[in-house]
Amino acid sequence: MPAGMLPVGTSAMPLHAYLTLAATLFAIGLFGVVTRRNTIGILLGIELMLNAVNINLVAFARFNGDPAGMVFTVFTICITVAEVAVGLALVILIFRIRRTVIADHLDLLRG
Amino acid sequence: MTDSAQFALYSLLLPAGSFLLLAVVAPLRRSGRPAGFISIVFSAAALGWAVRAWLHSSREVFQPPLLWEWIPAEAGPLATVGVLADADSTIMLVLVALVSFLVQVYSLGYLAHEPAQGLGRYYAYQSLFAFSMMGLVLAPNFVQLFIFWELVGLCSYLLIGYWYGKPEAARAAVKAFWTTKAGDVGLLIGIVLLWQRTGTFDFLELLMQVDAGTLPLEGLGLVTFCIYLGAVGKSAQFPLHVWLPDAMEGPTPVSALIHAATMVTAGVYLLKRTDWLFALTPDVLALVGWVGAFTALLAATLACAQSDIKRVLAYSTVSQLGYMMAAIGAGFASAGFLHLLTNGLFKALLFLGAGAVIHAVGSNDIFQMGGLRRAMPQTTIVFLVGALSLAGIPLFGGFFSKDEVLGAVWAGGLTAPFVMLVVTAFLTAFYMFRVVFIAFFGEPASQGHGAHVGAGHSSAAHGGTHLQDPLPTMALPFWLLAIMSVGVGILFTVRHPEHEFAAPGWLTPLVVTVSVGGILLAWLTYHRRVVDAERLAAAFGLVREAALAKFWVDDVFEAMYRGALLAFSRAVGWMDRYLVDGIVNVLSAWTLVLGDRLRRMQSGQPQDYVYGVALGLLLLLVLIQWPR
Amino acid sequence: MTLEPLAFWALSALLVGSALAVVLTKNLFHSVLYLALALTGTAGIFLALEAEFLAAVQLLLYAGGVVTIVVFAIVVTERLVGERITQTSRQIVSGVVVAGGVLIGVLTFIARAPLPATRPPLVADVTQAIGQLLFSRFVLPFELLAVLFLAALLGATYFARPDE
Repeated sequence: MPAGMLPVGTSAMPLHAYLTLAATLFAIGLFGVVTRRNTIGILLGIELMLNAVNINLVAFARFNGDPAGMVFTVFTICITVAEVAVGLALVILIFRIRRTVIADHLDLLRG
Repeated sequence: MTDSAQFALYSLLLPAGSFLLLAVVAPLRRSGRPAGFISIVFSAAALGWAVRAWLHSSREVFQPPLLWEWIPAEAGPLATVGVLADADSTIMLVLVALVSFLVQVYSLGYLAHEPAQGLGRYYAYQSLFAFSMMGLVLAPNFVQLFIFWELVGLCSYLLIGYWYGKPEAARAAVKAFWTTKAGDVGLLIGIVLLWQRTGTFDFLELLMQVDAGTLPLEGLGLVTFCIYLGAVGKSAQFPLHVWLPDAMEGPTPVSALIHAATMVTAGVYLLKRTDWLFALTPDVLALVGWVGAFTALLAATLACAQSDIKRVLAYSTVSQLGYMMAAIGAGFASAGFLHLLTNGLFKALLFLGAGAVIHAVGSNDIFQMGGLRRAMPQTTIVFLVGALSLAGIPLFGGFFSKDEVLGAVWAGGLTAPFVMLVVTAFLTAFYMFRVVFIAFFGEPASQGHGAHVGAGHSSAAHGGTHLQDPLPTMALPFWLLAIMSVGVGILFTVRHPEHEFAAPGWLTPLVVTVSVGGILLAWLTYHRRVVDAERLAAAFGLVREAALAKFWVDDVFEAMYRGALLAFSRAVGWMDRYLVDGIVNVLSAWTLVLGDRLRRMQSGQPQDYVYGVALGLLLLLVLIQWPR
Repeated sequence: MTLEPLAFWALSALLVGSALAVVLTKNLFHSVLYLALALTGTAGIFLALEAEFLAAVQLLLYAGGVVTIVVFAIVVTERLVGERITQTSRQIVSGVVVAGGVLIGVLTFIARAPLPATRPPLVADVTQAIGQLLFSRFVLPFELLAVLFLAALLGATYFARPDE
């Protein structure tokens, strides 16, 4: 694909490519959430999934020429940070109470 | 709007007014005697209007009924309410109003020792009954008739069970209600079937259809049979006669009014009212005749074996109702209707007389009476008048109408029923004078019967002051009835109304002979003691046994109840216990098991819930991308 | 601009590889480091999408903040446990099935969707546009975000407070 034929501000990579990348990351993150035994590991999976979502948001914003999507990404990042902070606090709290960080042992909700 | 119907309407509304007054104004009802006076005044006024209505109606040829629309429907009202005042209904109205009035006056004396509250209730019921019975008599269509038919049944239930504290009375009330209800179901079905094929409940419209020949005849037999079933229950025909003797547990004035003169004749009145309908179904009519005659004979046999004075009278009522039905079955309804009217007079008279005796002696047993002739001459005379009327002796009330009934049955070609009725006439005379000779003549009971000394002492001590003719409140009504009985008897003996049929010349002598024979036998047996009562009874050994057992009709019903109803209840109980409960238990068990299984879905592991979310997401994706 | 496809492919390879490492590595600490790598890669993707401001935020907040917190958490937990925490996985097969199912589903959906292949020219400075939007149209969520941070700060402090 000769670069000269592209107008300024355009890219060779279509939106599909970015979305596919995001979907893949999302799936990997989901896999991590489902399979990890360690609570911190699960949190890391969630981080990956959120990250994938961020890529989606930015890609859409860029390809539609609407910066509102990027504002959303700012929000998402901020909320994620808050979530991680609270989530890790919870992990430590749970560890203190139950003496474990293994999610398998955390089944107080079992019916 | 006709005078006659208008007067009848006033007559109908007066007792309704007194009932409402007594029902709503509680202090008045609880006052007892004042409530009675109010009810009596109202019923006297009702009697006045009834007589006026009767006098007017007999002059006019045809009176259109007073009608109001009821149950509105698209094509005109489905039913109407109103007043149909013709010759039949007004004379019946007079009978009802008259007996009702006299009985209410009589009750003041008879129930003098009742607590005030009970007396008020009694008079409220009496007013309601008068209203209901008049409504029934004046009904211009089947719907109104049925409603009042049920109302009189209710009044009967309430009044039989007036002394509801007494278990026998309560049970008799329920028995009367259920037994008549069994027939009423038939009546209701009959009415609905009739409406289905004719589209009307109205008597006059139906009569027009019959006259025009447009009434479909096919299957009409079932309709008339069903209507007849209602009459069987109400008018105590075999096999539903069992409630009437038990109904004697009610106060005697009630028996006189409801269970002798008026309500029990409602069935006969219904058949008389619709005789043109029954004329279309000769088979059912023949059944009416046969059952009537059989009932008459059966009841007369039973009456011979009774020692309770009220029960003798009750069975005689059943027997006389059988007479009326037989005449109707023979196709001459007016003969039966005439007997209804005369019977209403003298049977009420007999009951009021018996009431006076019971009031004085304090017992229903005729063997505890005896020799009352000296102590109670007035009562003896009126009771004798009643007995002679019932026996059908010339110059007395029942003579002509009984003659008429027998002639009608003979002319109708029902030979076997005719023979039964003649035997019944003999038995009627016998059992009535058995009561007369035992209770009023002969020796006073306390001397002759050693076995009754224990019981007799108290009753003698109790009766010693009471053994006398009753006060005017009680005496006046039965004197009036006695005079009317004799008056009607003389009137008909002297001036025969025209026969509808050709009665054979030997009929009247035969009937008189048979009746006198009955009286003679009773005289020989119970007064002269020429014929030994025990030997006489032994001669009819089996029949007597059967009669004492009431021909096992009650037992049959009881067995049917025990056998069928209890078995059915047991089956239903079994079904409820094992089938219904079983299904419920299985369902609940399943619910528990299912819940237990479902519970395990909640593993409490956060990641398992993520699986759920992921699967949901997948499902959504599949749904979105489903080939369109 | 001709570098863009090249950069994209390189970043993609880096991202997928580090992401897989995050979810598969046994050592939790290494996992976190791979996550940091993935987040940095994401910042590169943002650069490829001409969102420089977001790339900066990503690096500062995410790769800097989040990873630091997680490392702290791990260190604290390990000290509490008194031994090194190892990562193990469970139900790998069903995890692969579910994650693969979702991936295939989403990819099929993306493949079918009519999406723009080229991006419009940049009309203005993106960072400036974000700043203007944040303080005009999205000012309320922005303020609410501040409240959320406060709540998260207090909550985390409360949860993680030392035992009395």
